[in-house]
Amino acid sequence: MPLDVIMPALGMAQDTGVIVRWLKAPGDAVAEGDALFEVETDKATMEVEAQGAGYLTGVVAEVGAEVPVGQTIAHISKTPEDAASAPEGTARTPDAAKASDSDATPVGEQVIMPALGMAQDTGLIVVWRKEPGAPVLATDILFEVETDKSTVEVEAGHDGFVAALLAEAGEEVPVGDVIALISAQKPDAPVSRSIKDGASVVAEPAPVAGHPAPKAEKPSTGPTAKAQDGRILASPKVRRLALERGLDLARLVKAGHPQPYHVKDLELLIMLPAATDPTTVSAGAARHLTADVPSDAFAAFAIWAADEAGMSDVSALLAGLAAASLGKGDITVAVETFGKAYNYAVSGRRLGAVTNADKDAMPDLRLRDLRNARLSAVQMGAEEIPVLSIMAAGDGLMLTLECSAEHLSALDAITFLTDFAGRMEQPLRHLL
Amino acid sequence: MREITLSQAVNEAIAEEMRRDPTTFVMGEDVAEAGTPFKVLSGLVSEFGTQRVIDTPISEPGFVGMAVGAAMTGARPIVDLMFGDFIYLVMDQLCNQAAKQHYMSGGKLSVPMVLRTNLGATRRSAAQHSQSLQALVAHIPGLKVAMPSSAYEAKGLMKTAIRDNNPVVIFEDKLMYQDKAPVPEEEFLIPFGVANIKREGHDITLIGTSSMVQVAEKAAEILAAEGISAEVIDPRTIVPLDEEMLINSVKKTSRAIVIDEGHQSYGVTAEIASRLNEKAFYHLDAPVLRMGAMDVPVPFSPALEDVTVPTPEGVAENARKLCAGRMIHAA
Repeated sequence: MPLDVIMPALGMAQDTGVIVRWLKAPGDAVAEGDALFEVETDKATMEVEAQGAGYLTGVVAEVGAEVPVGQTIAHISKTPEDAASAPEGTARTPDAAKASDSDATPVGEQVIMPALGMAQDTGLIVVWRKEPGAPVLATDILFEVETDKSTVEVEAGHDGFVAALLAEAGEEVPVGDVIALISAQKPDAPVSRSIKDGASVVAEPAPVAGHPAPKAEKPSTGPTAKAQDGRILASPKVRRLALERGLDLARLVKAGHPQPYHVKDLELLIMLPAATDPTTVSAGAARHLTADVPSDAFAAFAIWAADEAGMSDVSALLAGLAAASLGKGDITVAVETFGKAYNYAVSGRRLGAVTNADKDAMPDLRLRDLRNARLSAVQMGAEEIPVLSIMAAGDGLMLTLECSAEHLSALDAITFLTDFAGRMEQPLRHLL
Repeated sequence: MREITLSQAVNEAIAEEMRRDPTTFVMGEDVAEAGTPFKVLSGLVSEFGTQRVIDTPISEPGFVGMAVGAAMTGARPIVDLMFGDFIYLVMDQLCNQAAKQHYMSGGKLSVPMVLRTNLGATRRSAAQHSQSLQALVAHIPGLKVAMPSSAYEAKGLMKTAIRDNNPVVIFEDKLMYQDKAPVPEEEFLIPFGVANIKREGHDITLIGTSSMVQVAEKAAEILAAEGISAEVIDPRTIVPLDEEMLINSVKKTSRAIVIDEGHQSYGVTAEIASRLNEKAFYHLDAPVLRMGAMDVPVPFSPALEDVTVPTPEGVAENARKLCAGRMIHAA
């Protein structure tokens, strides 16, 4: 049976694709993975690969033709002369597989869970817009599907009657699975059931026959190779590098990137949005420590320092105390106050020696002076450097330290905040 | 630098060592007046006489056995085995006797002998005169195996072999006897176990033996035009093997193809590929490929014979696949 080549869905909002050029001519031998044609969507031009080996036949879409997504545009046949009739021009999914299901599933055109995004494995059926047995036009909205990014209305793609709904609203269905059947005749006993109710219909022929290189797909339809036991196929070197850099190759699988993986695939992995990966959240485990200072002795100290020692820059004083508490030698401290940030270079513990630093300098510590803000607590998560926030709390102060595990060990973080709390409670101690 | 043929280089090496050491002599079929069928030893008999360049009857087991005895008793014989295929005839003399005397005698005896012979197909010599049997010999502990890839290596390795106190088998490619290469006039030796980087590259390592070094170099040329940078390494001796240089190269390139003209199965390529897998595993971005001769008797038909051995185009095609991250064998 020849494989169908269909116009793939490459983007979220794509209805059609324009054939830029065919990279194989009718009758050409095609190997799995060969680039078959270039397609232009509203966003980009991409090469689409053949999903199987054979000969390109039955090409119906010419260069320049704008073809609806899902429409069959060619076949890959066993022989170059294969007289498989040219594909019909209206099918959203490939031609009718007569779903012969012992479980009394009616016969009809298959409707599959579409791939709407680049990194989509499954789609959640939000609502069926048609009842079982209801008449539908190809352009009627059949159901709404929710992906990780948005909710999309999907058309029936075939004229006829809803013969079967094979998944219920609220169920998550793998991309490519058959979720509905549309029959030409009004069905006697239309079916409506859950995807969990056994005998799920496997789409045949493979509903997604044309394969754009980076495209969402079920792991089980990997174009080049797949591991039966869920193991990721990757070279020893790329595994080692991923381990060393804390990268998770499973994210490439989720993104539908074809296996096996090699070192060059790490570039793509690094570029994948991190938000989709829960492991990065836990990897960046943030430290959040707070300390209460019962009385604000610092305000009095600042007045004393300005009057008696000529040190009128309160932020410089705070930078000096914080740097001394951190105890990491000469550092740059950024102090944010009233929405502005100033950099201070602190060397040694003499407060008089704290100087203004270049505003473009990369600070080692950020200090947010929020004593005048109406905030009672902050939880901002770790930033690129440790952040120390100072807030007013009653007559005293509330100090918060936020950093990542890489910045400070647990012990260092505790020591730092404890020391700083002590200095804020009794600033004169710093001078001793 | 002057250029001489591989044949001349071997001749020079043997002549120099015979002048240097009076216990050195040559023995084999048609080595004296005929100077071997490939004319490699021409002229030696006129300088050294028939006492030191000895024609033997057509009896390989006989004269190789004599050479082993001569080596055990103080001489340094260079035995000429007309075709590498005849090595089957002398397996006992070579593998049971020469390779084991030092061990069996508790170190009291040694066998400083050189067996020089040849390998290589595509000379239309049919199945019994075209084999490359270095793997058979390299398998036996106690034997060293050198595989010169040009006239320069042929001379330097031969001189080292003659001075070595262990039995050494040198395989020369019979198609390369007339190939010229720059060879210094002054004396030089090439130590065993030191590989040679013929061409530097960073995308893939091509490891070739004997004439397969040329195949690898031509493949590297093809690949260079396509933007793939191939490193070509000639191990020069497969026993001992310069593992370190091969591993370091693969650590750099992450990929390797090993090319040898012996049959691919259970061959030299398998041994080298296996060591790279074991010792450079975490640096590999692709499987290490073997490319040897097809596992068939070497055909007499020229059209068939030519497709049984690795070619530059074949090596380049495999290198392309490895560098592109394509699956070579589905798994």
